[in-house]
Amino acid sequence: MTQAITLRLVTRQAGGGEIVRQRRIDTGEALIGRAPECDIHLPDLAVDMQHALLRVTGLNRVMVESLTGQPFLADGKFTLRADLDMRASPVLGFGDYSLQLGVGADDDIAVTVARKEDAGAPTPALFSLRASLFSRRLVAWTLGLIIFAFCLVLPFSGRAVMDSFKIHPDQQWSTGPLSKAHAFLEKDCQACHVKAFVSVRDGACLSCHQAGRAPAVQDAADARVRREGSANLPLLIFDHAPHDRILRAMPPPPTIRGRVGGLFESVLNHPNDRCASCHREHTTAPPEPAVAKTADILRTGKPALVVVSDCAGCHARLKMRLPDTRLIDTPDWNRHPDFRPQVTVGFDGATPKLQRISLAAHPVEANGLAFSHRIHMNPIGGVARQGFELGLTKGYGAALTCDSCHRADGLGGFKPMEMERDCGACHSLAFAQVGGQLKTLRHHDMRNIPGVLAGAKAASGGPNVDPAVLRRAMQPGGLCVDCHTVRPAATPFGGQILPVKVAGRLLPAGDFNHAVPAHGGLGTGAAQCADCHKATTSDRSGDLLLEGIATCRACHGKTEHDTPRFAAANCGECHGYHSPGQAPLTGQDRLFRALGAAPGAKARGLPLF
Amino acid sequence: MTAVGHTQRRRRATHESFLRHRGFLFLKLSTVLCVAAVAAYLLQDARPRPGGGTFLGYLLGTVGALLIVWLALLGVRKRAVTDGHYSLKAWVSAHVYLGLSLIAIATLHTGFHFGWNVHTLAYALMLLVIASGVFGVWAYAVLPQRLSDNRGDTTRKQMLASLSSLDEAIAEAAQPLGRAAADIARLSLEHTEVGGNFWQRLTGRWNDCANDKAIARIPAALAAADGREATALRKVDELLQRKARALAQARRQMHITAMLEAWLFVHVPATFALLAALTVHIVSVFLYW
Repeated sequence: MTQAITLRLVTRQAGGGEIVRQRRIDTGEALIGRAPECDIHLPDLAVDMQHALLRVTGLNRVMVESLTGQPFLADGKFTLRADLDMRASPVLGFGDYSLQLGVGADDDIAVTVARKEDAGAPTPALFSLRASLFSRRLVAWTLGLIIFAFCLVLPFSGRAVMDSFKIHPDQQWSTGPLSKAHAFLEKDCQACHVKAFVSVRDGACLSCHQAGRAPAVQDAADARVRREGSANLPLLIFDHAPHDRILRAMPPPPTIRGRVGGLFESVLNHPNDRCASCHREHTTAPPEPAVAKTADILRTGKPALVVVSDCAGCHARLKMRLPDTRLIDTPDWNRHPDFRPQVTVGFDGATPKLQRISLAAHPVEANGLAFSHRIHMNPIGGVARQGFELGLTKGYGAALTCDSCHRADGLGGFKPMEMERDCGACHSLAFAQVGGQLKTLRHHDMRNIPGVLAGAKAASGGPNVDPAVLRRAMQPGGLCVDCHTVRPAATPFGGQILPVKVAGRLLPAGDFNHAVPAHGGLGTGAAQCADCHKATTSDRSGDLLLEGIATCRACHGKTEHDTPRFAAANCGECHGYHSPGQAPLTGQDRLFRALGAAPGAKARGLPLF
Repeated sequence: MTAVGHTQRRRRATHESFLRHRGFLFLKLSTVLCVAAVAAYLLQDARPRPGGGTFLGYLLGTVGALLIVWLALLGVRKRAVTDGHYSLKAWVSAHVYLGLSLIAIATLHTGFHFGWNVHTLAYALMLLVIASGVFGVWAYAVLPQRLSDNRGDTTRKQMLASLSSLDEAIAEAAQPLGRAAADIARLSLEHTEVGGNFWQRLTGRWNDCANDKAIARIPAALAAADGREATALRKVDELLQRKARALAQARRQMHITAMLEAWLFVHVPATFALLAALTVHIVSVFLYW
């Protein structure tokens, strides 16, 4: 006899309970479908009207077959036909309905029909954007942490590792491009930012730019700069006074804002007496509406210069803050004191004693020489005649001019005087004639007269100098006395030549560039030598031949309305802050020096106009 | 007395928006701040040029950073229920106006000096936060009325309930249909997504709505249907049309809600990113001082 089928229809209630209805089918067949007349009625649109037939085929065995060709689920697999053993408690699925099969309590086939739980009705939360989007909090934290990791932690702690891959994560901290002079350091922030949380200190700058170091140390510093990729060697700088004296000489900031700022700076360990206080990097030039925007504006040649205190700021009332200074207060160009040339006032043994004496005191040099510029430059005198006779081939051919003796060194100054070269054409040091050839002493050798007498340093190929020759030379009217001051002394020659100091720099603290066209006699209205040096009327070698500062003021400090030779009057025309005794080099100076430098010579600084 | 004070506060809360709080107190405060910042910027003698490293630069930077941190604290403040004098509305009012003043303060802090670096990143993030905040102010001023107009007398819960009951009715009405026609109903029932994704909500366009597709398939099915099935199909069609109207209303509600909320999905994450970038900005500046 065919096993009966017991249907249990389970309906879940909203409150949580279940309603179970039970029906028994004795025919051994049950039609499954959506049609109301089906034995197992499943009102689900995914189920066909008469979807499948369930047949009992043996003891505890059931065959389920699709009637429409639409599959159903049997134990989780889609199929059109399933032969099922009731003892295995198989589960069928039609749409949202599940049919749990099994052996019933009366050894019949039990079919429990239940509808799957709804996924749950949507709640009003569905209206919020949160229903469709990421979690704000998650994204917020993620973004924050990413920025923190990539922009702070990585550059800070991963720099050493990443540098070896030529990645420099700390470059993202750079606030702007460096100047062209320092552009090669852009990937090496720590070349200047040596210590974390400590502002850039002078040590970093001076490691390249310090002047006056031992050549080996300087070479090592230059090599480092080259290695870092710089095409130019660093300019070398001095301070124009010891740093502590500069600080003492500096006036306090004139404004309250400046004083408060200074207070903050000292509290925050950001002093304003550093190199970097004036020489600012990572900043572009101030926007000048009149200047076309070019690459040079975005990346200037040198660091931007911010003058914390100008020259007059300290030097206007220097004595007040530095009582022991020997400098005279100089509030501005118009009140610049007259020159105090460095004068040789005598000798301490062979060492000249130098003293700064104001021109107003009409100083005269005790340089040990006897020389008359007037005689030498007289256009109709014997010297002029001698120059004419010497002819062009010997570099004369006419009355003497300044450059007959004073030879420019090409850098704005003059080569040191050399007796043979500059005087020797007329003032012969010949002491004997051998085989028609004159034997000549060397002027420099005369410092060692005993040696000369012994023949050790006499001109080659001749007899030793006869002491009588020298004795005659040192007598009044003798050869030496033409130029030297000879003091009678108990020497084998009856006299002693006093030490000589030919003036080099009369104004050691200021620069005067003779090569500047306006200074050197070139161009319309340019200065002539005689404008500053009254040589043609000077009979004494001790005359300084230096005019007062009024001569400079004829051009410097004037406007184009005053004179066609108008020139600037700023301190830097003659005085360099970092190059005491020299005017600051301009880019043009550096370019000319670089172009004129011998191969292998070290031209320093960026050659820019 | 307390009761009177409370009532007064309530009244004010009812009639005054956060923008007009206490006679535009924070707008005035913010304006003073901006004018002072601009005046200080114009009067300063910054060399070589204005920027974050000058005295005023540090001052503006400090004010800006403190403002940013305080503005971000609104997220903490709004979660704390307090009954003090500083109402949440006052906070929001100050948040809006002082937040706007940051445009002037931070821009002057930069000295118009920008680059591809973490500092400009912080500035850009700040502008993003402010821009999204401005959109938020507009949204809060305009959209609640639109939400209310769209909703009419129904609640959001009722909208969903009506959709749900329409689905039940469609399923019921479709029972007599054969598989092909029943699939039309199933298309609507099983594949209609009420909410949709971020862009659908933000743009208000649900172009590939399953319910619309089901409606489009009805005429062809009707042509092939016999009497009983045709009757059922017509019933289903009517229900699908009703569902389309209910969906449109619910989705309009979602679209407006999305616009009302979307700015916060920029504002809040960008604020966190800004706080991180600001920290990096400050630390890195002093690390490589």
